[in-house]
Amino acid sequence: MKIKVSFILNGLQVTVETEAHRRLLDLLRDDLNLTGTKEGCAIGECGACTVVMNKLAVNSCLVLAGQIDGAEIITIEGLMKNGALHSLQQKFIEKGAVQCGFCTPGMIMSAYALLLSNKNPDEEEIKEAIAGNLCRCTGYKQIIEAIADSEI
Amino acid sequence: MIPELEIIKPFSLEEAVDFLNDHPAEARIIAGGTDIIPGLMQGSKRFTGIKYLVDLQQIDELKEIIADSENITIGALLTFSQMINNDSLKNNFPLLVKSASTVGSVQIRNRATVAGNFINNAPCADSVPPLLVYNAKIKLLGVNGNYEMPLSDFLIKPYFTRLKTGEIVTQIILPKPKKEFIGDFYKLGRRRGVAISRITLAALIQIEDNKLGEIRLASGAVSPIGMRFFDLEQKYSGSVISDKLLKNISSDLGKEILKVTGLRWSSEYKVPVTQQAMYLLLERICSAHKQVK
Ligand code: FES
Ligand code: FES
Repeated sequence: MKIKVSFILNGLQVTVETEAHRRLLDLLRDDLNLTGTKEGCAIGECGACTVVMNKLAVNSCLVLAGQIDGAEIITIEGLMKNGALHSLQQKFIEKGAVQCGFCTPGMIMSAYALLLSNKNPDEEEIKEAIAGNLCRCTGYKQIIEAIADSEI
Repeated sequence: MIPELEIIKPFSLEEAVDFLNDHPAEARIIAGGTDIIPGLMQGSKRFTGIKYLVDLQQIDELKEIIADSENITIGALLTFSQMINNDSLKNNFPLLVKSASTVGSVQIRNRATVAGNFINNAPCADSVPPLLVYNAKIKLLGVNGNYEMPLSDFLIKPYFTRLKTGEIVTQIILPKPKKEFIGDFYKLGRRRGVAISRITLAALIQIEDNKLGEIRLASGAVSPIGMRFFDLEQKYSGSVISDKLLKNISSDLGKEILKVTGLRWSSEYKVPVTQQAMYLLLERICSAHKQVK
């Protein structure tokens, strides 16, 4: 059965018709063509699918379409402003925090949620914020440095 | 794939209970969804036949924290993140907050609820041993109204509780421990982040001069479900504190766990590790007490 859900996506009000049991991840990628958000494990362990929902980092593989009515959701596509990369995106490039890039959108969204509530996180706070995001390429050092250098 | 289902969003507890009772086999409550959604995704037998998920997010009273002179009562929908950020919970129930901060990852803690943790009753539910040493009670609502039950009675065996079909856990009642109580929480997992616990221990002890007053001990993951050790607690309450005593308590705890689990392939390492972890935990609590004095 299709239902109607309305929510704010990257600053814009959207209404979609979808099934209640559809995962937010699939809704973003397949229905709304926002393929920046990635699917890794599909069970809440890798963080590749992280988006910011009501100012908090969540795994979009663990949220169903029927749960998001009225929510405010930000994906990696929502960070760029007026054609300019967000500071986090810029610093990830500068510090070499991206290799294959698969974990990057999720990492950046976890970092973005951290910066929303804590403008000057220390190294421990950064590590805690990305503990639910796995990277199999770069090593975490560059990622931590990039986040430490970014601003919101 | 997640099987086709509908999400029902009741506006009141009564509405929710009615719906659950009208669809006993097909409806299940969803709180944070961090267990049920991957469970559905993987086709877990625990979730077969579900046609309706009853999402309680619109019921505000399930999100409240109410403090009075004796208790702090928390709504069943409180997430681990909300718990970690609450000062009065931090001050009064530090073990619970410490365990909450070790659950999953930030993303999981932003969704997962404390009540979901014990209603699921997985052996590795991190918040259960702390809840047990704080003598947590839970409030349930069914067709016949509200009633309360100690959490230790509610938990039966892995993935089973006394929750009846059509009932909702609405609140967790945490009696504030007296000031003399001091405690700590220990967790061992394979990694730090996003790891299933192998051993969890909680100890809350009343120390008077150099004697143990009331002792409360609980374990999780290493026992089939989170459990208290009431016999052991009684046996040692009133004893004079010494290194030997702490060793005896820890050694007995290992034996008790072995009694409930039976001998397993992992017992050979898990029992001594648990005993040593409990000993270190008790030692830490006793020396922290000395420092406070
Ligand atoms: S795909 Fe969602 S956490 Fe891995
Ligand atoms: S850059 Fe490849 S997984 Fe992180």
